[in-house]
Amino acid sequence: MGATLSPPALEQVDRLERVWAERRGLLGWLTTTDHKRIGLMYFFTSLAFLAAGGTEALLIRTQLIGPNQKVLTPEAYDQLFTMHGITMIFLVVIPMTTGAFGNYLVPLMIGARDMAFPRMNAVSFWVFLGSGIFLYVALATGQAPNAGWFDYVPLASKQYDPGLNIDFYGYGLIFNGIASTATAINIVVTIFKLRAPGMSLNRMPLFCFAFLAAAFSLIFALPSLTLACLFLELDRQLGFHFYDVAFGGDPLLWQNLFWIFGHPEVYIIILPAFGIATSIIPTFVHRRMVLFPLVALAELLVAFLGFGVWVHHMFAVGLATEITIYFAAASMIIVIPSAIQIFSWITTILTGTPEFKTPLLWVIGFIVFFIIGGLSGITLAAIPFDQQVNASYYVVAHFHFVIFGGAVFPILGGMYYWFPKVTGRMYYERVGQLSFWLSFVGTWVTFFPMHIVGIDGMPRRIYTYAPSTGWGPLNELETIGAYVLASGLLLVILNLAVSLFRGERVGADPWEGDTLEWSTPSPPPAYNYAVIPTVTSAYPMWDERDRRRDRERLEHGQGVLARGHETPASTVQDAELDEVLAMPPYSIWPALVGLALLIGFVMLLLAHYLIAAGVGGLLAALLLAWHAHEPTQARGDAAAGPSPPLVGEPAP
Amino acid sequence: MSETLPEGIPRRDGSELRVGSGLALQPARAGLARGAGGAARIAAGRKAQPNGIWGMALFLCAETMLFVGVIGSYFYLDFRVSRWPPPGVKLPATLDPSVLTAVLVATSVPMALAARRARAGLPGPTVRLIAVAAFVQAGYLAFQLHQFVAELHTLSPRSSAYASAYFTLLGLHHAHVLLGVLFDLGLLFWLRSGLSAYRVTGVRAVALYWHVINAIAVAVLLTSISPSL
Repeated sequence: MGATLSPPALEQVDRLERVWAERRGLLGWLTTTDHKRIGLMYFFTSLAFLAAGGTEALLIRTQLIGPNQKVLTPEAYDQLFTMHGITMIFLVVIPMTTGAFGNYLVPLMIGARDMAFPRMNAVSFWVFLGSGIFLYVALATGQAPNAGWFDYVPLASKQYDPGLNIDFYGYGLIFNGIASTATAINIVVTIFKLRAPGMSLNRMPLFCFAFLAAAFSLIFALPSLTLACLFLELDRQLGFHFYDVAFGGDPLLWQNLFWIFGHPEVYIIILPAFGIATSIIPTFVHRRMVLFPLVALAELLVAFLGFGVWVHHMFAVGLATEITIYFAAASMIIVIPSAIQIFSWITTILTGTPEFKTPLLWVIGFIVFFIIGGLSGITLAAIPFDQQVNASYYVVAHFHFVIFGGAVFPILGGMYYWFPKVTGRMYYERVGQLSFWLSFVGTWVTFFPMHIVGIDGMPRRIYTYAPSTGWGPLNELETIGAYVLASGLLLVILNLAVSLFRGERVGADPWEGDTLEWSTPSPPPAYNYAVIPTVTSAYPMWDERDRRRDRERLEHGQGVLARGHETPASTVQDAELDEVLAMPPYSIWPALVGLALLIGFVMLLLAHYLIAAGVGGLLAALLLAWHAHEPTQARGDAAAGPSPPLVGEPAP
Repeated sequence: MSETLPEGIPRRDGSELRVGSGLALQPARAGLARGAGGAARIAAGRKAQPNGIWGMALFLCAETMLFVGVIGSYFYLDFRVSRWPPPGVKLPATLDPSVLTAVLVATSVPMALAARRARAGLPGPTVRLIAVAAFVQAGYLAFQLHQFVAELHTLSPRSSAYASAYFTLLGLHHAHVLLGVLFDLGLLFWLRSGLSAYRVTGVRAVALYWHVINAIAVAVLLTSISPSL
C-alpha cells in the first residue's frame, strides 16, 4: 500500500515513524516497550530453553536405550528429568505461547498499537529471563531440582533432600509465576480494552478467545502454585510444618495445592495451541470456521472446567471413593468442549478447499495427536484403569501426545505461518514439509511404544531396568524415534534461520489470511497500523471494502493518531471507541526491576533475609521512579495542530 | 474473499456509527488532558473502566486466590487432626484482632471518598483523605506487628502445623497491608504535583486494592479466631 500513498498521507506515516522510534542497538532492546520486540525476545529465549530441554530429553532417552546403561549417574538422571519437565512447561511452552505468540500477535490481531501495559510487558520478559537463569544456574552448579516436576513431599522435604536443589525449585517457580501473572493480566486487559473500533466480542478472532481463556486460567491457577512453594520453602528454610505429618501437617496438602494449579496448567498449555490452529485452518482451507460461536465458548469452557478436575492426578493416593468418582465424572465432561472443537476443525477442513502447505500439515498432525492423547486421557479418567497404570510409562505417553503433539505442533505450525509476517521473507516450503514429516514420524515412534511398555509395567522416572523385563527393544525404538524427532526440529530451525537471510521477499499478505495482522506491512512497523482499522466481521481481511476505507481514511488523515504514542481504547463488550490513550515510550526501569528481583531471589535462596528485604525496598524505589514519568509526556504532541476526527466522512 | 456485510459499526444504544455517514466522533484524549480539570473531563467522558482499574482488578483476583488457598489450607489441616489447635496451645484472642480489623475496614470510607474527589478533579481533598487513611492503616499495621512479635515469643511457628498455618495466614495479610501503605505513600508523593487522568486512575486503583484487602481482612480474622468461636 506504500506505493499508492499521496504526499500528505506519507507525511502522516513519517510522523508516526518519528513518534514511535525507539533507541538503537543493544540499549534499544534493553529499554524496549514494543510488544513485537518483547515478543521476539520471548521467542528467542524460549527457543534457547527448548534446545536445553530437548538436550535433556535426548540424554534421558540415551540412558534408557537398553537395559543396565550407565550413560548418566542416577543423581544426574534425577536432575535431568526434573529439569526437562520444568523447562518444557515453565520456560518453553508458557513463555512461547503467552509470551512470544501472545505478545506479538494479540495486539496486531485486534488492531492495537501495543499491549495495554507496555512497561509491565517488558517487566514480564525480564522477570521470566531472570527466573530461567536462576533455574539453570542450579543445573550448571549440579544442584538442580531432582524430585520430579511435581516435586512431591516428603521426598522434597529437607529431611530427604537437604541440598539447595529443591530450594531452586521453590523460589524459581514463585519467581517465574510473577512473570506469567503479569503477562496474563496484560493479555486480558489488552483483549478487553484495546480492540479496534467495531471488533465487538463476537467479531474477535478465535485466537484471541483462546489466549483470553489461557490468560484467565493463569491468573486464577498460579496463586495455588505460589502458595504451595511458599509453604515448601517455609518448611525447608524456617522449619515450619505444613507438610510434616509428625507435627499435624499433611503431604497431601502439597498434592492438592500443586494440582489445583497443575490441571488448569494443562489447559494453559493447550489453549494457545487451539488458538493457533483456528488461525491457520481458515487461511489454508479458504473458508470461515464452522461453529465459530460454539468454538469460542468451548475454549472458555475448557479453561473453566479445568479448575474442577485436579483430583484425577491423585486417584492412587487413597482418597474416599465418592470424591474420586466425582472427579472422574468431571474429567469426562471435558470431552464435550474438546469434541466440539475437534469436530469444528475437521468439518472446516473437509468442507473447505484445503491447501496442504506446511502450517496446515502441522495443524493436521496436531489434530491426530490430540485425538489419540485425548482417548488415552479418557482411559486415565477411569479410576480402576488409572490405578493400574499410575506412575507408569502409559502416563508419560499420554501427556507427551497432548503436550508435544497437541501443544507444540501448532506452535511449530505457527512459526511457519507467521514467519513471513515477522520477517518479510518466505520459508522453504519443501524443506518445511520434510521437517513436518520427520517430526510426525519421530513423535509416533518415540511416544507410541511408551503406551505398551507402560501397560507392561515400566515405571516412569526409572533410572535403568534389567534385561529380564523385556522392555529393551521398545525402549531402543523410542530412543531412535527421539533422534528422528530431534532432527525434524533441527530442520525447522535450520529452515527458518536460512530463510531469514535468503528467503524470497513477500508482501503484507502472502497467504490471503483472514485476520488483521495481514493488513500491515511485513515486518510490521513500530506503530503496527498507520491508520486505526475499523472492523465489521470476525474475518476483517476478507472484508475488502473495510480495508479500502482504511486507506481512504489514511489519505485524509483520519484515525492516524500521530500526535504522540497513541492508541484507541474501546468498551469491553461492543468495542465502541471510548478514548485515545497515550502509551508510555521506551523505559529502562523494567529491566532494572527484573534485575532487582533476580538479586532478591538469590538472596532468599541463600537465606540472607535482611539483604532480600533491602532489595524489596530498592524495588519500591524503582517503581516510584518508574511512575514519575507519565505517558502524558509523549514526545512531539505539542507540534501537531488540532487532531482530525478518528472516524468520519472523508473530506471531499 | 470479499463478503457482503452490513456497513458501519453498531453502538450499544442501537444506532450505528456509520463509516462515512458524516458523524465525526471525537473521543477523549487522555494523553493531552493537562491539569485537574482535564482529568475530571476525561473521567466523566469515559464509558468503560480505564485499563488501570482492569489491571488492578485482575491482580486482585490473583491475590484473592492466594488467600482462598491459604484459608483453604488452614481448614484442610484443621479437619485432618482431632485437636486444633494442638493440646497446650492457648486459643487465639478474639477481641483485639476484631477491633483492629474493624478499624482497618473503616479506612475503606476515606479511600472511597478520595477516589470520588479525584474523579471530580479536587487534588486537595484527595490528598487529605488518602493521608488520613494511610495514617490509620499504618497504625493498624504497627499494632498488628507488635502483637505478631509478642505472639511469636509464646508460640513458635515451628511447634506445629497449626502454628505454621496461623502465622503464615496473618503474615501474608500483614504483607498485603504493608504493600497498600506503600501504595498510599507513593500516591501522596505523586499527587504533590497535582492530578492528571493517569493519576486519577492510580487513586481509584489503590482504593480498589484497599476495598479488596479489607474484605479479605474479615475472612482472615474469622479464620484466625475460628478455634475460639
